[in-house]
Amino acid sequence: MELVSKISKGSKMDQVYIPKNRNSFNIGDYVVIKLLGDTKSQTVNVPQKLCFYDVENIEPIKLKIIQELIKIIDDNIVNYGNIIITGSFLERGFNFNDVDILMITDKNINTKLIENLIAKKIGIKAHIIVLSNKEMAKGLETDPLYKVMLSRCVAKKKFIYRQKRVLDYKLLDLHLLESKVLIDNFDILTGSEKFKLTRNMTSIFLYINGKKITNESIDKEIARSLGAASEDIRQNILNKKAFLKRYNSIYYKTFNKIIRGIRNGSKQK
Amino acid sequence: MVQNRNKLIELFIGNISNAIVHEILKIAVGKELVADKYRKEFETSFDVACRYREMINPANRSLPDRDIDYIRSKIINRAKAELTIRISKGYDNIDLSPVEILTDKALKNTKIK
Repeated sequence: MELVSKISKGSKMDQVYIPKNRNSFNIGDYVVIKLLGDTKSQTVNVPQKLCFYDVENIEPIKLKIIQELIKIIDDNIVNYGNIIITGSFLERGFNFNDVDILMITDKNINTKLIENLIAKKIGIKAHIIVLSNKEMAKGLETDPLYKVMLSRCVAKKKFIYRQKRVLDYKLLDLHLLESKVLIDNFDILTGSEKFKLTRNMTSIFLYINGKKITNESIDKEIARSLGAASEDIRQNILNKKAFLKRYNSIYYKTFNKIIRGIRNGSKQK
Repeated sequence: MVQNRNKLIELFIGNISNAIVHEILKIAVGKELVADKYRKEFETSFDVACRYREMINPANRSLPDRDIDYIRSKIINRAKAELTIRISKGYDNIDLSPVEILTDKALKNTKIK
């Protein structure tokens, strides 16, 4: 493994910073520093560093996969805004089904082609969603699930996602309705489906109550209000009666608040 | 999970009516739903309804007329009731008229009729 970095000036000693998330070079390892080229004549092809958002630790193999994914996309698509890796792939361990990839571009992309290439070259199921900058900004303004999605991610380029919170109650009503599926269909849904629906409802609950939306805050709220650990929901090891009782209560509490919002015409335009 | 036919039909009705409410509310929101691209991956009521449909015999052809009439009227009633709750609480711009059309479409798509 090679890393390219710049020498920066320090007060007593100069230093070379390397990213905390890396494939190799453990603390205590001895390394050689050598000159790569003359930066003034711009002969150094400095590889782009990845940007980590709330990803404190990531398994080296996953980092390698992300770099491979980006390379495949770079080789096949030109002129896109950004690539963002998100979802369960970034969670600790290897309990993920696929890699969620957001491509920020205004162009039409043949996602199936890229997904097939990734499957062929890395043997991993990729799930690519293409969004324009405008769609992303709008989603972040109005949909708590977008905030969840970007609260933990790895991006090719740095981006700013602090958008103002717009309470569009009609839209939230629509999003909340998706989580109603769990109430009547507990037995037929898998653990992962149950978790997605629970997370959707909880993120809306936090959103309308002006609370912070991150994966951690959602897990905490699920534990607090539903009395279940997110992992237990994913594993589908729940006490149906107790869980549904609490789930119903939160669902209708959230629904009533949304309806009050609609009635009061509090939709911010 | 073995469930009797009547129970499966009720679960099917619940999910299709939920899917129809969702469609009507989409129209009521009345703007381009930018979030759809991300949210379309959700396990929707319609998807779940399809799972139940596969368990209702006959699975590959239409149900008897008696069942179709029952399912159709129950879906319409449930969807309208759910939407009426919203209207009564001050949600404006909800148009109930597409409920029948959407119900017939859903019944065709799920091979109920």
